[in-house]
Amino acid sequence: MTQAIFDRALRPLALASLAALLLCATPAKAEERPIVIGGSVSITGALAVDAAYHLHGLQQGIEDANAQGGWLGRKIELKYYDDKSDAGTAVRLYTKLITEDNVDLVIGPYSSGITQAVAPLINKYEKVMIEPEASVPDIYVPGNLWNVQGIAPSLGYLEGVLPLAKSHGAKTVAVLALKSAFSLACDKARLEQVKALDMSLVYDTTYALPQPDFSSLALAIKNAQPDVVVVCSYYPDAVGIAQALQRAGYAPKFFAEAIGPAEDEFTKALGPIANRIISNTSWWASLKTAGNAAFIAHYKATFHQDPDYHAASGYGAIQALGAALNAVKAIDQAKLHDWLLHNEVQTVQGTFANDPNGAARKFNQYLFQIQDGTRKLIWPLADAEAPAQIPYTGQ
Amino acid sequence: MSFERDTLGRQPRNRLTPAAAAFPSRGLQAYRAVAGLTILAVLAAAPLLSSGYILQLATDILTFVALAYSWNLISGFTGYVSFGQVTFFGMGAYATAVMVLHTPIPWYLAIPIAVLLAAMAALLLGAVMLRLRGIMFALGMLGLARILAVVAANWSFAGGAVGLTLPAQLTPNAVYAGAWAAALIAFGLNAFYMRSGLGLSAMGVRDDEGAAQALGVATGRVKILTFVLSALAPAAVGGLVAWNRSFIDPTSAFDPNMDLQLVVFTLFGGIGTLWGPLLGTLVLMLVGEQLWAYVPELQLALYGGLVIVVVLAFPGGMVGLANRFGWLLRRPIFAPRSFPAAIVPPPAPPSRPPDDTILEVRDLSVHFRGIVALDALSFDVRRGESVSILGANGAGKTTLFNAVTGFVVPSEGSILYQDRPVGGLAPFQRARQGIARTFQIPRLMESMTVWENVLLAAQHGRLSRRALEQTAWALHITGLAPMWLESIARLTPGQQRRLELARALALAPTLVLLDEVMAGMTRDEQEEIRGVLRRLPEFGVAAVAGIEHVISAIADISDRMIVLDHGKKIAEGAPAAVLRDPVVIQSYLGEVR
Amino acid sequence: MLVLQILINGLLLGGMYILLAQGLNLVFGVMGVVNLAHGAIITVAGLFTFWFATHTQLNPLVLLPVVFVAMLAIGALLQRSLLEPLAGVGRKSELLSLMITFGLSYVLVEIGLDVFGSQYVSLPNLQTTWSLGGLTINEALVAAGVLGAAISGALQIWLQHTDSGKCLLATSQNRIGAVACGIDVSRMRCIAFAIGSSLAAAAGVLIIMVIPLAAQTADSLTILAFVVVALGGLGDYRGAVLAAFVLGIAQSAVGYYGGGDAESVVPYLLFILFMILRPQGLGRAAQAQ
Repeated sequence: MTQAIFDRALRPLALASLAALLLCATPAKAEERPIVIGGSVSITGALAVDAAYHLHGLQQGIEDANAQGGWLGRKIELKYYDDKSDAGTAVRLYTKLITEDNVDLVIGPYSSGITQAVAPLINKYEKVMIEPEASVPDIYVPGNLWNVQGIAPSLGYLEGVLPLAKSHGAKTVAVLALKSAFSLACDKARLEQVKALDMSLVYDTTYALPQPDFSSLALAIKNAQPDVVVVCSYYPDAVGIAQALQRAGYAPKFFAEAIGPAEDEFTKALGPIANRIISNTSWWASLKTAGNAAFIAHYKATFHQDPDYHAASGYGAIQALGAALNAVKAIDQAKLHDWLLHNEVQTVQGTFANDPNGAARKFNQYLFQIQDGTRKLIWPLADAEAPAQIPYTGQ
Repeated sequence: MSFERDTLGRQPRNRLTPAAAAFPSRGLQAYRAVAGLTILAVLAAAPLLSSGYILQLATDILTFVALAYSWNLISGFTGYVSFGQVTFFGMGAYATAVMVLHTPIPWYLAIPIAVLLAAMAALLLGAVMLRLRGIMFALGMLGLARILAVVAANWSFAGGAVGLTLPAQLTPNAVYAGAWAAALIAFGLNAFYMRSGLGLSAMGVRDDEGAAQALGVATGRVKILTFVLSALAPAAVGGLVAWNRSFIDPTSAFDPNMDLQLVVFTLFGGIGTLWGPLLGTLVLMLVGEQLWAYVPELQLALYGGLVIVVVLAFPGGMVGLANRFGWLLRRPIFAPRSFPAAIVPPPAPPSRPPDDTILEVRDLSVHFRGIVALDALSFDVRRGESVSILGANGAGKTTLFNAVTGFVVPSEGSILYQDRPVGGLAPFQRARQGIARTFQIPRLMESMTVWENVLLAAQHGRLSRRALEQTAWALHITGLAPMWLESIARLTPGQQRRLELARALALAPTLVLLDEVMAGMTRDEQEEIRGVLRRLPEFGVAAVAGIEHVISAIADISDRMIVLDHGKKIAEGAPAAVLRDPVVIQSYLGEVR
Repeated sequence: MLVLQILINGLLLGGMYILLAQGLNLVFGVMGVVNLAHGAIITVAGLFTFWFATHTQLNPLVLLPVVFVAMLAIGALLQRSLLEPLAGVGRKSELLSLMITFGLSYVLVEIGLDVFGSQYVSLPNLQTTWSLGGLTINEALVAAGVLGAAISGALQIWLQHTDSGKCLLATSQNRIGAVACGIDVSRMRCIAFAIGSSLAAAAGVLIIMVIPLAAQTADSLTILAFVVVALGGLGDYRGAVLAAFVLGIAQSAVGYYGGGDAESVVPYLLFILFMILRPQGLGRAAQAQ
């Protein structure tokens, strides 16, 4: 049998091996003058919409840094590929960036899930990587040394809701969460907070996407009559649950959803239902953080849209990286990593500082509320733009 | 089996000069072996010597090659399109990851165990799902991947939706070697199918499952076995990928786009062929790698469009295209270099009492939702008899044959074959016990040569030990030897019917049921067939029952005639008497002028 | 009262499922083709409706007849160019058609992604909720249910009581017999696919007001529709209605008592159960093939 196979296959195999040799014989690229930051971005796929903001934040940060002379006297360039919102593709792309393109520095991809997939690779190649879009705590453990978190951890999402509600006399809480890395971390923290604040948990559940219909969950919530409904969500379930609650005819006094309400599409999709929904952000345009006003102005001019917190964390990551480079004065992965862990940088997000495991420790979480079609910061009270409008009515 | 392995394709091309040489010389053999192995070694080693990225790419390509070949095995060979490769991939990934994390089992053991688990799962799944029609099976497997993703997302032991992070074991060289192993195994299975009786049976299932059953193919077992074999490589690669990436979650382990890629690669290369999956995967992945950099937003659309184009314009894929130029042709299975010169007729079976009842039908009734096809029919066929069954269209004749061979379940009554009831026996079992039939409209296996059509029956028949000789004999006796390597499409209708007969005879049956074997034949062909029919007792055939409309052709070779009308027997007896019976004339023959 | 509400929610959900699924049944019954692009058609139609509504400020329900008619033409074109060449008998053509619709679904999804983006979108119309003695009933679901019922009813009437419908039914039951009766089988196939995909498109126009849609989750709709159709018995219209209600009620109950995760598994679990125990589905008529 082998004889017959080789007989027929000799020619094609010979050609194939020649091709393989040629392919592998391509020399590695010569190093170029600019400092190259490499990363994968979800340009297509399910995460594309938010990742676009992230990318623009990176690009704006680099543009602004170049306008001030670059780093170490060199221009900065961003080299990125599309990971199609897929973890496997991202792993392959980062391998390519590190081993073939020989980038000087790496920057994190969009979303916790993809970052988690890439983290072991980063450790293996010992490159320091700031991860502006990975809010889960699981990555930042001993053993994953080289990863540096660049965004407020998911534990803190919606952490202001319960204290705010309690201060207005709320007692009963329902907590829902999407089954994903980020939202489960948020869910756990909220459940603990309910206990800590001595409030009463009347309903809690998790769900997975795609879920076409939330009416049963809404019915269960209505049955439990909570004062506060907290949903650790992504976008589609944020919309779905809000719609379902309205259809079931129940409006909790406080209605908060983690991700989703920040998008324009949210208000378009829900119309009046969206009014007075509370949500989370780690950055806001009215804050007086380092370089915020300039960032917003430049971003608007370049991209003709308002930045959101994804853009801000991308921009902030570049700011932090720049500060580290200017302090260390060399592209030395270990030294840069060490400097980032032991120093604080003021960025558009606030204070960029990390604990020994790389987790971010000084970012603040804020709450905003949709009020008559606009979004206003309502918490912490010291930074609030407007008072919270209570109760949520669903109209 | 004594047959020569150095065979030639349908259009014989002799690479060696002396046609008489049975095998190439030792030296040539050795040279070829060494050359082949060297090429493989170079292909294997090349990526190891270059950058990490190329190694990763090569590993990914090999992964898809292994997956494509597994898909080819179940979907290409049996025709049961399965969207299930990703299911086994995910199973393998999760099984391996869970084992490594929660038990002291090391990687190199975890992966084979995961493969075993996947095989067992495939056995269970196959037993349930392969009973269904092709479409339901395809969609069932599609849904299964979803279910498993949901289960994985909900099972915190398996990491839940968050996924599992595994201790970094990044040894890309070992993973690369593992991918090679998986690809070679998958390729080897395909090559085996291309050359073996099992593969022939699988192709029979694909071409015409019902007819295959009538030829003795245990279609259920073939399907399940193939399904199980097709689960091995995906599970292995799943485990390897989990190892390589150190992180799995439900979305990446049960990624539905993976099935799309497999389908595209294999279709593009040529489904059901030996080299198709390899070619398709290589070309599309290498091209794709470059292409996606420029048009990333069109990837899925281009893949989808490619599937459409391939299915419509060149369903044979690249290999099909190559076949038109005479390259990469499939070799007929177990076909010798030339048609055997010496024909060995089947040995006569031991002698039996002449009064044996071969077939007894008692009060047989068959109802189809309000239509009575057969109504309390009783008759028998004794050893040595040739019985003709006549009647108008719709009288129930073919239904009778379907009931005897097991394709239709009787509503009442019983059928005894050689004094034993056949109820409960599947069609393939009845065929193996010696009941052979032809079909009214020939149901020949279109993707096989004439030789293979007959061989399919021969390898399941009474004389399966000497299947090759039996095949040659059956072809010889029906006059089809000159076109033994032709494809079915080239046969005239008369030749097709003769092939049906040859297949039935190849089973070395005891009872032959002929369904309008004379239809569409020329006078000469009829004479040939009559010659064969007369000689059947020499070949071990104890009795023949034939449905026929061309009465002149069978009147003198029938011992008895039975006439059916609306499912009832209206006449039985010697041909002369029956043909003059006024009841028969009125219902079927028409007035004599 | 609670149980009644769960029941009502389930029925309304079932109505939505019928809307999603009947188009698939028609295509399968007549052509033996499972249209894997079904979900993609629903989704693209829905996304288009969203775009239309947000750019023109007109009531999206206006689109219903427009999209239906447009899809008749597009569906006919698709059938003629992609599926008719394969139309034959037997498993091979069945599975080749499956492949083609498989590829088509990806093409449509990608078009949806590129033209409309990957974000989930939905429309806020039809959000009135009526309260009837303690029970709450939502307009969007009622509309979906009513339309679903209307479609099923119209389909039944057409198939059983009109000449053209009977021709279609005849073709699905026995192709050769239909040809022998002088029915233009090829035209029947074209009509079936055109109507089947128009039903899907109409479903999409309505569904975008009920649940958020996104291009990349089109295939989950296909699977959902297929589960309903399979549970009812492939090609059995009445069975599909029954199956849709069973599914809707099961999901509603399980979702209330068991939570979100259990609810999402229900369709698939039922599907597997039926495959094992009763593969011909709930419907009484088992289609001969």
